[in-house]
Amino acid sequence: MRVAIPYFGYDTLALKAFLEELGATVVMPPPTSRRTIEIGVKLAPELVCMPFKITLGNFIEALENGADTLLMAAGARKCRFGYYHYLQEKALRTVSKEFRIVPVTQYSAYDFIFKLIPELFDVKPAKVIIAVSHLLTKSALTRDFRRLLNRKRAVDFEEAERLKSSALQMIGAARTRNQMHQVHKDLGRMFALNGKSPDIRVGLVGEIFFTIDQAANQEIEKELARLGAEVVFERSLYNHLRHLLRSDFSYLRSRRLARTYLRECPGGEAIRTVGEAIWFVRQEVDGIVHLFPFTCMPENIALEALQRLSDSTGVPVLSLSFDEHTSNTGLVTRLEAFIELLKRRRRARRLSRN
Amino acid sequence: MRVGLPRALLYYRYGKLWERFLDGLGAEVVLSPKTDEAILDKGLACVSSEVCLPIKVVAGHIVELRDRVDAIFFPRLNWLHDRLYACPKMIGIVDVARMFLNDEVRLIAPTINGNFTRAHILAGLQICPNLFKVWQAWRSAVHRKSPRAEDRGPVARLPSSVYCYEPTVGLISHFYNLEDEFISGAIIKTFKENGYQILTKEDLSQKVLLNNRCFANNIRWVYERELFNAFEYLLGKVDGFCMVVSMGCGPDSLVAEFMRERAQAAQVPFLLLVIDEHTGTAGIVTRVEAFVELMKRRKQVRVCA
Repeated sequence: MRVAIPYFGYDTLALKAFLEELGATVVMPPPTSRRTIEIGVKLAPELVCMPFKITLGNFIEALENGADTLLMAAGARKCRFGYYHYLQEKALRTVSKEFRIVPVTQYSAYDFIFKLIPELFDVKPAKVIIAVSHLLTKSALTRDFRRLLNRKRAVDFEEAERLKSSALQMIGAARTRNQMHQVHKDLGRMFALNGKSPDIRVGLVGEIFFTIDQAANQEIEKELARLGAEVVFERSLYNHLRHLLRSDFSYLRSRRLARTYLRECPGGEAIRTVGEAIWFVRQEVDGIVHLFPFTCMPENIALEALQRLSDSTGVPVLSLSFDEHTSNTGLVTRLEAFIELLKRRRRARRLSRN
Repeated sequence: MRVGLPRALLYYRYGKLWERFLDGLGAEVVLSPKTDEAILDKGLACVSSEVCLPIKVVAGHIVELRDRVDAIFFPRLNWLHDRLYACPKMIGIVDVARMFLNDEVRLIAPTINGNFTRAHILAGLQICPNLFKVWQAWRSAVHRKSPRAEDRGPVARLPSSVYCYEPTVGLISHFYNLEDEFISGAIIKTFKENGYQILTKEDLSQKVLLNNRCFANNIRWVYERELFNAFEYLLGKVDGFCMVVSMGCGPDSLVAEFMRERAQAAQVPFLLLVIDEHTGTAGIVTRVEAFVELMKRRKQVRVCA
């Protein structure tokens, strides 16, 4: 059985290690490229949202590489995401007949640990529990790596980019818990700031796939760092997994904070987006960047709330919706203008304080 | 107390019930006028450009009512029986409305979590503090015949097969699109002018619509499941399907794909019309006429064969 999963930013490393630990042969598709998106778009319905098209492209390329079992997160609720695998299976049947797509339902940790994974990989539940705990540690590691990288990039762009590949290798090689803790310490040393501090801080909120996957958001964190802004974020695979295991306290905080604007969860991650944005404003970030795929239903509701938040607190919010036509040049221009705005605001505030 | 009721979205299903309920509470019901260009423009100014047309329309209706009433009655449908959810925008628009109304007008927005009675009693108490009166108003509002039965007359008789004399088209779309003349009046008119009888999901019985066998069980959106069931039921009973989707409608974008595929397999003509506020009537009419032509030819071929 040759298993494939779609890309999910740096967290792909953690997910891949998880599957390998369970004894699966993981066949990764080539990293998401222009071609991936194009072939995904060709087979996908026109009006469906962007993550569908990208993951579909990943799957097609994985099938080309010889994968026969595709794992896709599922769980139908209010958001379209839970329905992806039905349509993806149909679309993929036109390309190949010899594969199966396994929907991994997110909402029951019990089923995942005791039924789905043991049956799929023929392992004991105890092993799954150990693998899940390693997955948690590793995804926490990739999250902290992203944080360190973002901070380092903002002060010393070239140095950070140079260290990135070796850091990713270290994360990929770490297997046991002790090794991962060691890597964690090493990364802290590698990405030390040496007394410098970034000019401005920008909070990144929005739909999970677009905030995490660099290929989807066209390396927005890198672009912002190039302009001298440190990107802070809350959303990660780690806290999503914690949420699924019912132990994510940041979600409770988000829900409490978001109540000013949203009294009922409209599905997806709208509550988190709004709650995190309010939290970032309290942490005194200079601005907020909100990412979501074009026609995303919950994020459009969150967008309204973020506009009100921006009006009432004065913190600028930049909402960016992505689809397959989003050009990198246009994106960079908007980011440059936004960062310029933030820098001026900061200068004005400093002057008024003196 | 003057209570406003926006004539959009859920009004087209539960409106009569709400009117009776509010009447029974002793409130003066102010219904917003039928959708027109001016109302849509007001809506466009209030919500982001990416949301779908019905949401823009309902925002316009709420703004329209803002200056004329003391409170606006705008329940939020979260989920219905069997944990079938409403669409995220339908759930979220209530909060968006609260934001753009800025507390100028009271928004009475009970959340319906599968239980109509509880939500409406709580909402009623905000208008009339007497629990007994609220209960009475609710009971008398509910105990009438269902709003659908009294407005639409008897359920349309279904033709037994495609070989029937009268040409029929299945119009698959949400009730809030179809019953709003501004949104889909031109489509319905064109079909009727060409001598086509129209069947929508509102013409089918609840038993058909609530069916949860086969693939419909996987759909967790309440109105999408109804659409899909209606489609499955009408497949083979009508000459063709026309699906009206508003641009940016998330659930429809997926479910339409399932339907399109099934229609293709069954060799039934299927037209997907995507509409938004920029859609011109002329373009729609042309497409519908071309589709009518296609359906006629397909039928001729079938009858000959």
